Amino acid sequence: MFDWLTQSWLWLTQNWLHIVAPLLVFLATYVVGLWVRRVVYRAFNRWAVGKWEGSQLIIQTTRTPFIYWFLILGAFIAIQVSKLDSSGKVLAGKVLASLFVFSLTWVVVSLSTKILKLYIGKVPRLQSSEPLIVNTVRIAIAVVGALILLDVWGAPTTPIILLLAAVILIAALAFRDVLANLFSGFQLAQGEQIKVGDFIKLESGESGYVTDVTWRNTQIRGLDGNLVLVPNSRLLQSTVINYGRPLRKATKPFRFYTHLHLKELTGLKASNLIELVKVLKEVPDPVIYYHTHNFLEEHHYLTPEPANDFALWVSDELGDEVLSEKLASIDTFDFPTIGALRARIEGVIRDYLSKKPDGRTAHEGREFHFIKSISFILPTPYIAHDLREFVEVLRQVSLNSLSYHIFEARLRLKKGVNDFSIWIEDCLGDKDLADRLAYLDPYNYTLESLRSTIIQLIEKRIK
Amino acid sequence: MDSLQDKIYLQSRSRLQDYEPIVGRSCLEELRVLAGELSGKIIQIINSTFVGGGVAEILEHMVPLLNQLGVDARWDVINGSEEFFEVTKKFHNAIHGKKEKISPEDFALFSEVSERNLEEMRFYGDIFFVHDPQPVALIAKKKEIGKRWVWRCHIDVSNPDKKVWKFLRDFVVDYDAAVFSAPNFAQKLPIRQFLITPSIDPLSDKNKELDSGTIDTVLKKYGLTSDKPMIVQISRFDRLKDPLGVIEAFEMVSKNIDCQLVLAGGTAADDPESEEVLEEVRRRAEGNPGIHVLLVPPESDIEINALQRAATIIIQKSLKEGFGLTISEALWKAKPVVASAVGGIPLQIKNKLTGLLCYTVEGAAYALKQLLSNPEYANWLGQNGKEHVKQNFLITGHLKDYLLMFLALDQPSDVVYL
Repeated sequence: MFDWLTQSWLWLTQNWLHIVAPLLVFLATYVVGLWVRRVVYRAFNRWAVGKWEGSQLIIQTTRTPFIYWFLILGAFIAIQVSKLDSSGKVLAGKVLASLFVFSLTWVVVSLSTKILKLYIGKVPRLQSSEPLIVNTVRIAIAVVGALILLDVWGAPTTPIILLLAAVILIAALAFRDVLANLFSGFQLAQGEQIKVGDFIKLESGESGYVTDVTWRNTQIRGLDGNLVLVPNSRLLQSTVINYGRPLRKATKPFRFYTHLHLKELTGLKASNLIELVKVLKEVPDPVIYYHTHNFLEEHHYLTPEPANDFALWVSDELGDEVLSEKLASIDTFDFPTIGALRARIEGVIRDYLSKKPDGRTAHEGREFHFIKSISFILPTPYIAHDLREFVEVLRQVSLNSLSYHIFEARLRLKKGVNDFSIWIEDCLGDKDLADRLAYLDPYNYTLESLRSTIIQLIEKRIK
Repeated sequence: MDSLQDKIYLQSRSRLQDYEPIVGRSCLEELRVLAGELSGKIIQIINSTFVGGGVAEILEHMVPLLNQLGVDARWDVINGSEEFFEVTKKFHNAIHGKKEKISPEDFALFSEVSERNLEEMRFYGDIFFVHDPQPVALIAKKKEIGKRWVWRCHIDVSNPDKKVWKFLRDFVVDYDAAVFSAPNFAQKLPIRQFLITPSIDPLSDKNKELDSGTIDTVLKKYGLTSDKPMIVQISRFDRLKDPLGVIEAFEMVSKNIDCQLVLAGGTAADDPESEEVLEEVRRRAEGNPGIHVLLVPPESDIEINALQRAATIIIQKSLKEGFGLTISEALWKAKPVVASAVGGIPLQIKNKLTGLLCYTVEGAAYALKQLLSNPEYANWLGQNGKEHVKQNFLITGHLKDYLLMFLALDQPSDVVYL
């Protein structure tokens, strides 16, 4: 033990300069590092304050590692001036270089994460993609750091780079749709052609208000209330009509309904005009509604609009074209109630009978059968909050729905005017448009042409 | 008496969504809403046979479609001896107005078999949908189990034999409702009566689209060519279909217009007269190369379809007709149709709008001439006719009517909010 201490002391007295010099170099580098950090950070702080909000992030993230890097530098110089043999110096150099690369990679990862989060937080459409973007950048920096480390230790990096390139290529191919949507999303964001709140219509038929645009897809609230996700790439490739910002919202949305009819036989029939007018007086309102609207609904594709069942029967079975014409020319639109309409039909026949009482009798089996229509009213998924949505829904709903709101609501449900006019006046305050629709005689159109006419009137208003 | 649910699923040829390109999405959406309203209810459908006959053919398509909509519809049949079905055949003819000798023993046999079925059959439905006269007496079960009962009458009862109708009427009046195919089939009854017309299936072999190759093959098989306008009547050889009247009308037309006539149909095994009528028609057509009388075997739906599609005009000059669904089949092919204004035909043809109606041989000849001389007008009528069938006589509309009728049983009001 004593010998060992003696030999060590002897070695120190002979080589003290080889120890003190590296130590002094190391300490000097550390002091220089402290001084450089102070000067650089002060200058950077003065330059960046108020100019760039990310400056504090840089300072906070690099302040401590900065001094580590000077410590690594100091250790490296100290080793180079020491008496260590060359192979030891090389090994120590590689270890210190590795430490530096590792710490630098960690700092760059940390700093880029903070900066990305700072900016993504300010762009709402990117927020949902934040994890994807941050992780991609982190992985890319880590891969670069790892490649440098491998290079420091002399490992062959070319095959790894080629392998990485191949993996990236395969991933790009596998996720080409995602990438296409990402790039399309970027284009949409840059161009600002489609924004949240716009009403758009795709050539494939989907339409509605844009509720969100992310990097991958655009979200539309469809006319049936469902959310439609349209991939951004599809949005850019197809023809899109952008009607722009929303129109004035109604105080209450318009819910579209539809109706279906079941025919109930009353068992009542007439074989001549006297019987016809007698039964006509007694039957309930739904029978009159059926016989004045049945032909219209069953033959809605025909032009000109056909007459009521009474006129047709008088012509086809009694062969009385004069009375048939008189009955056919009764304008259903003139009557606010079924009762008034019934009275008019009855009056026309009675008047005719008073002048020509000896009418024909229908052949057996060709009598007029009184039928009652039972109406089932059911909601559709379509709701309109403004005229733009209203007109687009109108293009899509069934003709049964149109017929319900125009004919049945006005006459059978005793509203006196069609549902569309009521909503446009009461909930949108547009009396002029409401009146135009209310004065439109729907009995002069086929149901399809009625639909087109209403759409044209509304389109004209919202242009 | 077993429920054939599984078998029916296997037999189902068409899926509900297959009809969407024809009738549109909103139609199917409406059906789904209606079906949803019947959730939890079992519809027990009862008739006399699973196979053969028009009713079984309709139910074979209808039941799987109801199931696809989510409606728990199950199909059962009654058991009956050969003698029983002979009696019900007599009932059927008598209801149609044909003179039949029906003895008290026949009525007794009907009651006896009905009693046996009442004992043996399992009654599990919430709504019992009973088809035609054979199972009509099962209504006796209503006193015991209650529930809703509907009688679906597929036959023309506009002019029935009074004795038979009185016998059946005593059962019918205990039902909650009756369903008839045409307004003039309805009777004075103290129960609700609904009008539901029969329908065609646009995807069946008889009505689906055919390529020109198939049509040509069928024409070749029967030695027909399409070099002349072709007038076609498809119906079994029966005097009520007036084939001789059709030949007479054709002869009037062919004096001025070069055309050909095809009378195609089968003979009915249960109608000994049909062979006789066929012979008469053949004799009448002898020596006229423009008339082709074709005996088409049963189950030749594609051949019938091809003949209708090859036709220039389709004629149906019946003297008496039930609903006459062959008219809808013809209209579905967008062909101009000339038909007698009998039975349910005027429901399908609005004169001069979706076809031409006639009452006499001369009227039929006049209508044929009009159409042959004015192909554009003929085409317009054909297109209107197809649209009319699409709107009113397809199986989807039939389904809708049945669903509405089931719902109406608990709804006395004229306006029902669902």
